[in-house]
Amino acid sequence: MEIRRVAVIGAGVMGAGIAAHIANAGIPVALLDIVPPGADNRNVIADNALSKLHSQQPAALMHRRNAALITAGNTDDDMGLLAGCDWIIEAVVERLEVKRALYRSIEAVRAPGAVVSSNTSTIPLRDLIAGLTKGFAEHFLITHFFNPPRYMRLLELVSGELTRTDAEAAVRGFADRALGKGVVKCGDTPGFIANRLGIFWIQVAVAEAMALGLTVEEADAVVGRPLGIPKTGVFGLSDLVGLDLLPQLLESMLRTLPENDPLRARAEIPELVSGMIAAGYTGRKGKGGFYRLSLADGVKRRESVDLDTGEYRATAKARLESLDAAADGGLKALLAHPDKGGEYARRVLSQVLSYAAGLVPEIAADIPAVDEAMRLGYGWKFGPFELIDRLGSDWLLQRLRAAGAPIPRLLETAQGRSFYRTAGGRLQYLAADGRYCDLQRPDGVLLLADIKRRGGPLAANRSASLWDLDDGVLCLEFHTKMNALDPDVLAMIRSAVEIVPQRHKALVIYNEGSNFSVGANLGLLLFMANIAAWEQIRERVEEGQQTYRALKYAPFPVVGAPAGMALGGSLECLFHCDSVQAHSETYLGLVEAGVGVIPAWGGCKELLQRWVVNERRPGGPMPPIVKCLETVSTATVSGSAAEAIDYLFLRPQDGITMNRDRLLADAKARALALAGNYRPPEFREMHLPGLTARLALGMAVRSFRLSGRASAHDEAVALALAGIFSGGETDITDSVSESDMLALERDAFMRLVKTAQTLDRLEHMLETGKALRN
Amino acid sequence: MNNIVIAGYIRTPFTAAVKGGLSQVRPDDLAVAAVQALLRQTGVGDDAIEDLILGCAFPEGEQGFNMARMVALLAGLPQRVGGVTVNRFCGSSMQAIHQAAGAIMMGAGEAFICAGVESMTRVPMTGFNPMPNPRLAEKIPGAYMSMGETAENIARLYEISRSEQERFAVTSQQRAARARGEGKLAAEIVAVADVQADGCIREETTAETLAALPPAFDSDGSVTAGTASPLTDGAAAVLVCSEAFAVSSGLDVLARIRSIAVSGCAPEVMGIGPVISSRKALQRAGLQMGDIDIVELNEAFASQTLACARDLGLDMSRVNIDGGAIALGHPLGATGARITGKAAALLKREGGTFALATQCIGGGQGIATVLEAV
Repeated sequence: MEIRRVAVIGAGVMGAGIAAHIANAGIPVALLDIVPPGADNRNVIADNALSKLHSQQPAALMHRRNAALITAGNTDDDMGLLAGCDWIIEAVVERLEVKRALYRSIEAVRAPGAVVSSNTSTIPLRDLIAGLTKGFAEHFLITHFFNPPRYMRLLELVSGELTRTDAEAAVRGFADRALGKGVVKCGDTPGFIANRLGIFWIQVAVAEAMALGLTVEEADAVVGRPLGIPKTGVFGLSDLVGLDLLPQLLESMLRTLPENDPLRARAEIPELVSGMIAAGYTGRKGKGGFYRLSLADGVKRRESVDLDTGEYRATAKARLESLDAAADGGLKALLAHPDKGGEYARRVLSQVLSYAAGLVPEIAADIPAVDEAMRLGYGWKFGPFELIDRLGSDWLLQRLRAAGAPIPRLLETAQGRSFYRTAGGRLQYLAADGRYCDLQRPDGVLLLADIKRRGGPLAANRSASLWDLDDGVLCLEFHTKMNALDPDVLAMIRSAVEIVPQRHKALVIYNEGSNFSVGANLGLLLFMANIAAWEQIRERVEEGQQTYRALKYAPFPVVGAPAGMALGGSLECLFHCDSVQAHSETYLGLVEAGVGVIPAWGGCKELLQRWVVNERRPGGPMPPIVKCLETVSTATVSGSAAEAIDYLFLRPQDGITMNRDRLLADAKARALALAGNYRPPEFREMHLPGLTARLALGMAVRSFRLSGRASAHDEAVALALAGIFSGGETDITDSVSESDMLALERDAFMRLVKTAQTLDRLEHMLETGKALRN
Repeated sequence: MNNIVIAGYIRTPFTAAVKGGLSQVRPDDLAVAAVQALLRQTGVGDDAIEDLILGCAFPEGEQGFNMARMVALLAGLPQRVGGVTVNRFCGSSMQAIHQAAGAIMMGAGEAFICAGVESMTRVPMTGFNPMPNPRLAEKIPGAYMSMGETAENIARLYEISRSEQERFAVTSQQRAARARGEGKLAAEIVAVADVQADGCIREETTAETLAALPPAFDSDGSVTAGTASPLTDGAAAVLVCSEAFAVSSGLDVLARIRSIAVSGCAPEVMGIGPVISSRKALQRAGLQMGDIDIVELNEAFASQTLACARDLGLDMSRVNIDGGAIALGHPLGATGARITGKAAALLKREGGTFALATQCIGGGQGIATVLEAV
């Protein structure tokens, strides 16, 4: 069955977010909620939820036009809409009788074969379907989304004994490919995987911090970054999800948890926390939580709760010797350190990891499912079993034995072996029977991490490597810090241009960092500018131009496959690819203006060309130039891949992949499709208006500066851009070549980089990570 | 010599560009609505019309193709009636009236439709492809100066404070709101696309709300969105004919055209343009400012209106008595026909003897028309 139309019932934060994300997949979706007593507008709840979607940050919609795919309605008048839906998602209040009553009215209108699922976070499936028809149960699942649904990749899926496999497969396939979710099959157990472990982790980490006398800053610093957990740690995370939500989840789970479950012994809500909830300090949505922004005397201050007194005080950076040790020696050094930070890490990790080891196969069929759930649902860099491998399962065993704690069977089964290993070039995991099994990736999932397990790269230097993806396709990977582009990356691109044609057909540029690349290495640029190495800077600029030009005109197709940020010089790289297959969550932009320079690796040239040849743009010589100037002078960054097409950072014919794990396979397929009868692109010479355009743009820029919307150096940068986009001193009857454009970029770059204001901007960006408006 | 009269005036509602009710109406369709309404209202036979003269400040895109001819055809005028689009920026449709007057005077026609239109939604100010001459920009930097900057220049030169500008803007809004409330504007408006009334007027404007606005053009300046005319969509049309034709056809004559003038000034203070053109027109009419009962002075900006009033010694109780462009809106090409038609209609309604319609023009010009009651 193909899912072509969806309904979401319950227009709360989760329901609306789920509906928005289904719209992001291009699928029409009805969003229904009840008619509040006495309401004039019977759709008022869904309507309000829809209007909130537009202003929500981070944005729930990948493109504002997606809102048109969502139809608001109510459960009194619009249940008929469900008859046309292939998937009906229930996201109403966590009350069993309310859900069951709703299911009965859904059952009355549901089309044959349509799947119904609940977004419950705590109620077991067997309770939800009790008393409903067999036909309903056969088409019923739990699909548990995480908040916010657009960004949190985890989807926990629970099916019942009666659930038809085709119903499950339809939802699983849609969630995977269309919604981009990492679908993890869970047992029908309380809190499923992520919240079962996650809530245990929070309870333990809060209680131990209090027991050991750590401050919230210290606790978050220890359980955050060193453990590969988001830097919100445990207290910051509580603020984020809401202090009041945790006791509710816990209470609901306690109703069905096994009698001897270790979470029962950890279920107490500290007095301090219940006091905060009662007083309205429920976290970011309330008056504040463990942290808050105080605005006393008009000055913004970050404050934290003192865990002893319950009073707010100024937030202080955590300073512990164990943290310094962790900064140098990593997790093991942290755990070996005798101070209270080390002890805290030891206590939290040993309890959480042994709890996890005790839950398989109850909550999930195998350990990779548990690890995946914690990575995708809680943002952990490593799942619990990956963490055990990092510490050594012996370490954990010894801790547990020393404490006289029970040893989970899985840990005994491991017998000191790792939970994962690479064998025969393949990743394997330890199954419950003590044997290693190959980790199976779904069809259409290709990971560079797996490619790397098979052997070394074809070519590599400090900053980039070239891998063989088979079938004649090579993959160029950046691997510098934040994937910043440096001379070695450029050198590897040039090597790829040499190597690919020898025995291969196509190239994909891709990596598995959090960001495709943040752009050129600014530290290097600032260093050269500070020693006035202008000639070297000019050479670097020219080197980038020549490298990208070589990539563009290479005799084989190149597909860029970005995910995350693709800024500055890396977007210029994508501009020179034949095609792009982007992850839906790609944020692209030419942000050079923020540091007082302009895109000079062919970015201005390529963006202008795209606008000039764009058939849907307004006519005349000025509109493409105006568009480019607006986009680049304001350092516009797209909020998604879909939005990037509006700016022509991507072209309508480029591809978008919703599931991050499918990006490389999609990009490879695209590269192979281009490889038959490949002909390199041609640059269309452009007729540009020259000085008159620069003058017209200069007038507009001047108005911006006068009215205070642009700073003095903003104006200087924009004027430099205006000079490039208008074609320099050309006349409309002359044609401007690719080389002409590159020369204009170089000259403008060199003029700006020699100004004190640009150096100030560079320095400020490197020091603070923020743009200076001088 | 032929006397020339204005024998009809009508306009579409004026609504805000982009967000207003007329944003989806093409400018040529807007002009057609005004022209057809003018013919209906005056009852003039279209066989007597010599030419359709249509003012437009940015005659490109949907305002291109010699829009006047297209409007004549679309409005169903006989094919032998001509059509010419004229451009003197904001003075375009007052210029249309002047050209008709000149033609009638030399016996080159008896009756002319003089109209103006601008959709500032659909054709942006400065047009789609602004391409100024770099040589001129070097020679006379003010030639292409933005209108907002010229308004700031005037405010500084004449030391007109922000609060003074805002007091004036409040008056303009109050007068327009009152006129609308009393049905005085409905008399000159023909509904288009279900839009019945003006959309720009902000009745709720007070000195306090204006004082809260940020400067619009110069962060150190005094001109805000509240003391500038808004970007507007709209069209206006007047019937200009010889007095003999009007009498023999039994038309309802609003006023006689007594004199006309245009003048130039420094581009960077273009807002002062009306001073010289008004003085020239008055002199040609043999009149003093004190003889004028009704003044329609286009409010491009409050600063510029107040500066002109000061130099011309205007009695503000006679100026823009139904509100001006700050409240009503300023669809560039349509404004000249509106204020000239309005001055003629007011002369009749208020019972005065002489009226003056005048406006400033980007690039540094002024244009003026003196009218006389019949």
